[in-house]
Amino acid sequence: MDDLRIVERDVDAKETKISAKNVQVYYGDNHAIKDVNVEIADKTVTAFIGPSGCGKSTFLRCINRMNDTIDVCRVEGDIAIDGEDIYDRKVDPVQLRAKVGMVFQKPNPFPKSIYDNIAYGPRIHGLAKNKADLDVIVERSLRRGAIWDEVKDRLHAPGTGLSGGQQQRLCIARAVATEPEVLLMDEPCSALDPIATAQVEELIDELRQSYSVVIVTHSMQQAARVSQKTAFFHLGYLVEYGETGTIFTNPEDPRTESYITGRIG
Amino acid sequence: MSVFFLLIIVLGLGALGFVLGRSRAMASADGNIRNLHSLPNYYGFNVALTTIIPALGVLAILSLVLPILIDNRVSTLIPAESISEDTTRSLVMSDVRRVADGLDTAIAAGAMTEDEAQTIRTEFTDVRDRLGSVGVALGSNVEPFVLRAAQSYRAQAATAQLWTTFLVIGIAVAGFAVSFLRTNRDYRARNVVENGVLVLLMAAASIAILTTLGIVLSMLFETRNFFQDYRWTDFFFGTTWSPNFRGDSELGIIPLLWGTLYISFIALLVAVPIGLFAAIYLSEYATHRFRSYAKPAIEILAGIPTIVYGLFALITVGPFLRDYFAEPTGLGESASSVMTAGLVMGIMLIPFVSSLSDDIINAVPQAMRDGSLGIGATHSETIRQVVLPAALPGIVGAILLAASRAIGETMIVVLGAGAAARLDLNPFEAMTTVTVKIVSQLTGDTDFSSPETLVAFALGLTLFVITLGLNVFALYIVRKYREQYE
Repeated sequence: MDDLRIVERDVDAKETKISAKNVQVYYGDNHAIKDVNVEIADKTVTAFIGPSGCGKSTFLRCINRMNDTIDVCRVEGDIAIDGEDIYDRKVDPVQLRAKVGMVFQKPNPFPKSIYDNIAYGPRIHGLAKNKADLDVIVERSLRRGAIWDEVKDRLHAPGTGLSGGQQQRLCIARAVATEPEVLLMDEPCSALDPIATAQVEELIDELRQSYSVVIVTHSMQQAARVSQKTAFFHLGYLVEYGETGTIFTNPEDPRTESYITGRIG
Repeated sequence: MSVFFLLIIVLGLGALGFVLGRSRAMASADGNIRNLHSLPNYYGFNVALTTIIPALGVLAILSLVLPILIDNRVSTLIPAESISEDTTRSLVMSDVRRVADGLDTAIAAGAMTEDEAQTIRTEFTDVRDRLGSVGVALGSNVEPFVLRAAQSYRAQAATAQLWTTFLVIGIAVAGFAVSFLRTNRDYRARNVVENGVLVLLMAAASIAILTTLGIVLSMLFETRNFFQDYRWTDFFFGTTWSPNFRGDSELGIIPLLWGTLYISFIALLVAVPIGLFAAIYLSEYATHRFRSYAKPAIEILAGIPTIVYGLFALITVGPFLRDYFAEPTGLGESASSVMTAGLVMGIMLIPFVSSLSDDIINAVPQAMRDGSLGIGATHSETIRQVVLPAALPGIVGAILLAASRAIGETMIVVLGAGAAARLDLNPFEAMTTVTVKIVSQLTGDTDFSSPETLVAFALGLTLFVITLGLNVFALYIVRKYREQYE
């Protein structure tokens, strides 16, 4: 009886990867994120949902300190990855971003070849000892991005020549190439058609094996399809956070229910 | 009637047409705008434009063509034997025009009647004296055939003016009548007016193109004249430039081209790194506030007249380079040198490179930078490996535009590098460029039939072809760049 319970807990409750406490974000005088506390588990897909301007992308960008590149942005509170405060002075944001990969809303391949797009991160961080090593990394990343078969014959063609869905998978492969531990995705499918979206969603599900994935999405169906945990943001507050199934079928907060049923947003 | 009065009349007709056309349209719609196809003003503009534009077009063409026609007809009146050794037909024609103008002035001053002016004969009157008494000074006594030509000139000009008046007013009235009668509630005035505006826009665009064509053609004709007197192989492959008026000039372009390219090269060597680094700092690192002050400050450099740069080269940079570099190293003792002109020209070109590059770097989408920063690249790695490669074709375009400026620059070279054509590698020697020699061949006492003067046109055309080639190349690269991302 006791043994059984332990096994069950191992499956359900994985260890915490990212934990945020009392996070406040200000854009100038605008208080964009208010008192957010959240614990994101490892090897899980966590979806952030909420109406436009609710702060979900802003919070996502706090996790790899991309907000540092915006002059007027100020972050308070603690965010820790594996128990280490990422806003500590000892942490180099550049190193952090290698560990916390990011995929953006619009596919943004560099105006370079497909090969150079993938090799960009490994080259910067010195992950490959030689050309053969780099070739291996590029192939592995493209395979993980589920795009290898489509581009293996034209690795030296420009990445900008691919279709939108292929470009987004290329960007995912590019983010994966630096061996991150966390993958942040800011509405990765909003510029894609349904077929490309399905491909990317399938890919996200596979990536869960190796990474902790955090995805911001406007599509509640998408959140329901790909995520295990869901967080609902509204007006800068984290309103509700829990199992995806619970959030969508039995939300506690009336605001969550209104959003999910389409009454606010 | 003078062109000015014609213009007033046509414009007045147009204004009247606007009012009448508008009210006719309103009347046909029973005063209700909703019954009209177009807004009432379109009907007004339709009548006004149909009245004005064809009439003014004809007026413009006639004022260009008629003087040429009259000149040709009058010049046949000048007997061939009267064109002596030391004069040409065009000189005699300008005499004719001056006498004709003099007669006009005399009539206006009341010293002569119209009849008198047309019948006056040199055999009976001293025309020079009578014209002199009303303030028209003539250089020599009026030859009988010149006076007759002038009288014929006046008669024909009067006829031409009469015809112009009739034709222009006729076309204006016809346009007015046709468009006015066509105006009713179903007439598609809006579409017609928009087509009319389209034609105006096309005319404006073609004027720019035709002007370029005209410049090229005029240069081509003079250049052809030059190559009739001078072998083209000697011009393009000659290594000596020593014009004189004894008839044995050597007019090789190579020393001039060498000077041009050498000075431009040094100028770009100064301008490209400084301009590019300034652009990178301003667009990527500087705060918004600093940029809003620094960018206009750099662009002020572009507003300084080049003659001022020339003075700077002459009195500051030249002597400085001579005293501290050229003389101590024994490379030369002249203040005018390729280095002086190149350095100062490079300073002049900094804003061209920096301002354009800054705009191009700013045009690289933020998504590119985010993508690179998101992978864990530093700011400078992002600039070096993503932003600059994405902006590179545009930056090359900016550099080529700066190069065109450098090749065409004159004032800085005259004051900074001197006017001695020389084929030399030493940057502390005085040299000169194509543009400087164009100026010096065309200023002063010139004879427009000698190769020494006409060579200026060949030089100009060569320069034009080089800068045109550079510009086309720059445009090609800039266009290619637009396809890079998206």
